Amino acid sequence: MSDGGNPFGYEFMNFQRLLDIPMDISPYNYAATGTGLAIALSVVGAAWGIFITGASLLGGAVKEPRIRTKNLISVIFCEAVAIYGIILSIIFSGKLNIVAGNAFTNADWYSGFAIFNGGLTVGGCNLVCGICVGIVGAACALADAQKPELFVKILVVEIFGSALGLFGVIIGIVMTTQAKFG
Amino acid sequence: MADITYETCPTSAPFFGFMGVTAALCFANIGAAYGTAKSGVGISSMGVMNPQLVMRNIIPVVMAGVLGIYGLIVAVIIQGAITTPDNTGATVYSSFTGYAHLSAGLCCGLSGLAAGMAIGIVGDAGVRAVGQQERLFVGMILIAEALGLYGLIVALILSQQSYDCSANGAR
Repeated sequence: MSDGGNPFGYEFMNFQRLLDIPMDISPYNYAATGTGLAIALSVVGAAWGIFITGASLLGGAVKEPRIRTKNLISVIFCEAVAIYGIILSIIFSGKLNIVAGNAFTNADWYSGFAIFNGGLTVGGCNLVCGICVGIVGAACALADAQKPELFVKILVVEIFGSALGLFGVIIGIVMTTQAKFG
Repeated sequence: MADITYETCPTSAPFFGFMGVTAALCFANIGAAYGTAKSGVGISSMGVMNPQLVMRNIIPVVMAGVLGIYGLIVAVIIQGAITTPDNTGATVYSSFTGYAHLSAGLCCGLSGLAAGMAIGIVGDAGVRAVGQQERLFVGMILIAEALGLYGLIVALILSQQSYDCSANGAR
């Protein structure tokens, strides 16, 4: 099908439309979704880790009640992941402002994208960190029940796991330092 | 001549750059978490029979953690190159750079995910085997780490590609 004057005889697809697709959603939506994902995914990760650890800890403590108090450290490592999420989402929600007349500038779009991806990074990293620490914490509780000297050694593995959540927090903060609305 | 023009620096360009940052860190962390958790469970089981070997067998956990560091390195490099709109309000960050950063993030992240899964499964089997046969220790030093390193190298090369829409048209 040829249009007037086109020597190639067919129409090109309008790739410019592809570049405009991310702009069909308003920057308010991007920023708010990022804020919500930061807290929601972090809490899911923390909860998942806590129930994995808690179930094994309580089962093992039936025969060895002494492991009960020491292994709460694993639960606290999982909880820390949720704390990271809430701190970051409070920081992001402080950046949300009204832009007069919804006349968004390029800087507003940039801020929306930055907060969306910052929240997604923080939430995703905290989600996997919580699950990882939970699984290792469960194994740690059961190993501690059999040999008390193993507790501190397997705690080292848990510390490696909890570093993953910190990576997400660092990148989330650095990405959104220059994001501001209005 | 059909005149088709595309904006070199559209407003949506930073979206792809930021998705590269997220992909790099989140996928690499999934791999690192899988490797850490799977190996950690193996170490705990092995430690019940052989407590003195636990600290030597932390190696798979360390190597899985390094994959998270690779993701962090690429994420920091990419997000440092995503420029804000300049003071006239025009976007300086081009789609070309955005797509390059997205591909760099995906390279590092998905390679880290694959390497982490390999390290987890081999590390779990390896530490359980070393608990029973100590001569297997050298065989457990994981070649799978190199997979994540390949992803990091390609991501670093890709992240060097950039084009700026600044006033003098500099690269």
